[in-house]
Amino acid sequence: MSVEALLALVAALLQAGGMLAAAPLLRTGIKKMKARLQNRQGPPLLQGYYDLAKLLGKESVQSETASWVYAAGPRAYFATVVAATTLVPVLVAAAPLEATGGILLLVGTLALGRFALATAALDTGSPFGGMGSSRDMTIAALAEPALMLGLFASALSVGTMNLGVLVRDLVQQGPSWHPSDLLAFAGLFIIVIAETGRIPVDNPATHLELTMIHEAMALEYAGPDLALVEWASAVKELLYLTLLVNLFLPVGIATGFAPGALLVALGAWAGKVFLLAVAVTLVESTNAKLRLFRVPELVSVSLGLAFLALAIRFL
Amino acid sequence: MTSNTASVTAALHVPEGAVRDHHPGELVVDVHPDAILDLTDRVSQQLGGRLLSLFATDDRARTGAFGVHQVWSLPQRQTFLRLSASIDPAAPSFPSIAQKHPAANWFEREVMDFFGVRPDGHPNPTRVALHDDWPGGARALRKDFPDDSQVPREPGDRHPFRPVTGEGVFQVPVGPVHAGIIEPGHFRFGVAGEPVLYLQVRLFYVHKGIEKRFERLPWRHGLFLAESISGDTAVGHALAYAHAIERLANVEVPPRAQALRVVLLELERIYNHTADIGALATDVAFTVSASRAQALREGLLRANDRVFGTRLLRGTVALGGVKRDLQPEDREALRSALRAFEKEFDSLIALLVDSGTFTDRVDGTGILTNQAARDLGIVGVAARASGIDADMRRDHPHDAYEDLLFKVPVEDGGDVRARLMVRAREVEQSLVILHQVLDRLPDTPCAAPVPDHLPPGASALGWVEAWRGPCTHWVATDERGEVARVKVTDPSFLNWPGLVHAVPGNIVPDFPVINKSFNLSYSGNDR
Repeated sequence: MSVEALLALVAALLQAGGMLAAAPLLRTGIKKMKARLQNRQGPPLLQGYYDLAKLLGKESVQSETASWVYAAGPRAYFATVVAATTLVPVLVAAAPLEATGGILLLVGTLALGRFALATAALDTGSPFGGMGSSRDMTIAALAEPALMLGLFASALSVGTMNLGVLVRDLVQQGPSWHPSDLLAFAGLFIIVIAETGRIPVDNPATHLELTMIHEAMALEYAGPDLALVEWASAVKELLYLTLLVNLFLPVGIATGFAPGALLVALGAWAGKVFLLAVAVTLVESTNAKLRLFRVPELVSVSLGLAFLALAIRFL
Repeated sequence: MTSNTASVTAALHVPEGAVRDHHPGELVVDVHPDAILDLTDRVSQQLGGRLLSLFATDDRARTGAFGVHQVWSLPQRQTFLRLSASIDPAAPSFPSIAQKHPAANWFEREVMDFFGVRPDGHPNPTRVALHDDWPGGARALRKDFPDDSQVPREPGDRHPFRPVTGEGVFQVPVGPVHAGIIEPGHFRFGVAGEPVLYLQVRLFYVHKGIEKRFERLPWRHGLFLAESISGDTAVGHALAYAHAIERLANVEVPPRAQALRVVLLELERIYNHTADIGALATDVAFTVSASRAQALREGLLRANDRVFGTRLLRGTVALGGVKRDLQPEDREALRSALRAFEKEFDSLIALLVDSGTFTDRVDGTGILTNQAARDLGIVGVAARASGIDADMRRDHPHDAYEDLLFKVPVEDGGDVRARLMVRAREVEQSLVILHQVLDRLPDTPCAAPVPDHLPPGASALGWVEAWRGPCTHWVATDERGEVARVKVTDPSFLNWPGLVHAVPGNIVPDFPVINKSFNLSYSGNDR
């Protein structure tokens, strides 16, 4: 194994570990901000970690009718999300495993995780799991192309599908206010809302099984399995927000591994993700959840925005 | 003979003297079972009657027969009409009116479940209250069935639900145990993808034998049982029971007590309506307004606690009046709490109806048409949201309502939005009522003495327009003046079929918000 490959592997582990460590804070942070907007105190900021620790310490419960697919689901979902974190530049203008692939690999990896979870939810035969899977797939059928088109629009400005190269070039260019970028950002923001199961698409705080999308797929899981699903979903959310801020607001990103630059990059990244989290919170707090059949309309809007962004690049 | 008696006698084509003035606002006709069908048709067509309750009594010890009774509301005449038929125990059956009056559907099947008296010609003569493992011969409300009986469970197959078939059609079972703190009930959706084709509801998981229990309790203690029938309608049920006892015993409730009962009933109405409005917001994930509604409800409950010493208004109603008088300083505290509430409530409603994402969820969702609501005998908030202008506070005034000015809000939409708006406007009217009452509380005692004994062999109806709809208690005494039978009718019992009717055609994820817009009580239904 070459030295570069070894370094890339170390970087990948560090980045994945960092994302895993930071993700629960993001989720609890949004919960806390939502609570404050409702004049409530909300959970302590570390609640996400307490919850994971609690779930990991419990035993797993498995339905009698479930097969290995059920057990494999959370693991595959978790693995794909963790793998996806190594394909995206976070603090440094390079993705640890960027040599393995770019946008298509990222979208494909996330799709694989979705497939694993949706299949596993069908496995127990519980009607809620089935409903969750079917709804998630309905939305994904529109959200995935929109995600790809949005990322392509950004990729086209540089001419590469490799996220590491892309972010390096964007950092050199500085923030762009090209209409294409604005449209692509708007489109991808909708996708982030849809993909992370937030109001107005899904309600992460509901107890009503009949209305659930993402939660319905996790309904049969308990203990460590549930922890994996929850944790992976949190990481996925952080990943999407990171992707969005690094592609469309590429400031403060380190171009080397100098400690000072890394520290600045950490602060910039945290700040940008925080701002986007505030935006997510405001959307969640000012909207009711859409009627399920309106969700495809919303996601189609994002598809349309991404398409426009792409078309403008050719003008 | 009053003019009501005469006109009812004429409309029913019964001989003079057949219609008896039982109590003020309560007429009784003894009918032959064979005449039931004709008479009910005349009651509903000529007199504009609405069926409020249907029940049986076991009078075998006294008259040698079962009784089957219908209670109709005749709103134009401000009177109730009870049709009573004697049923021979040798052939225990009575002509069913459910084919023409679907409101009687569940009532008649309940008579069959608990008395073993069959409704002849019922379109679906299956059990409604009893579950499959209850033995067929055990008739719990017959007098020869001891209330401490241990009933062996009958083994057997699971409940056969009506199959729903078609390509891509499948069934989604939900409950009886649900997420969240709600009561048990089983819902079975026949769905084609997301759209619901058919909904079957299975209730009575919390049947507690309350009507049987009344027969073993001293009648004074019945009040405590009554207010436990449905926890959110403590005042409504307690008042309905108290009304029945007071009419039996000819107790005149003093004006101040009548006014304070109005205060209690309206306070119960606004805290429940506010909670329901918040719950609707919760169900469509409109989080900020949901929290505001919860805070508003909490403010009301604290005011209740301060003024009456109880958050949910339990133990406030007494036989003959109310338990606790309102002190002048408490009256001021209540007034200022209500004024603060009013402002906040208006802005909450504005926030909801001005939000496009919220109204998009409630407009046109879960429509119960006016025709369906009339046919099914829907009552209360749900009826008024489907264009039925009925409210006992105006149609059969009880307590101090006769002298109060208020409107009865009616909406025509029949959807979730209409049920929400009826609640919102009823809260406004409740505040109008409360301010009127608090402005001029009569200066009398707040309770009248109740005699030591009830008259033997008597009966009376007590009714209240509670927040969800009319609660009625029909109380009959035996030859010792003790309670022989109490028939409790909670509005939920009449309205559950309305929910079943409103859901098909909607999509599965809209069910919770439709269900919440009716917000029916399981406990009140199951008793």
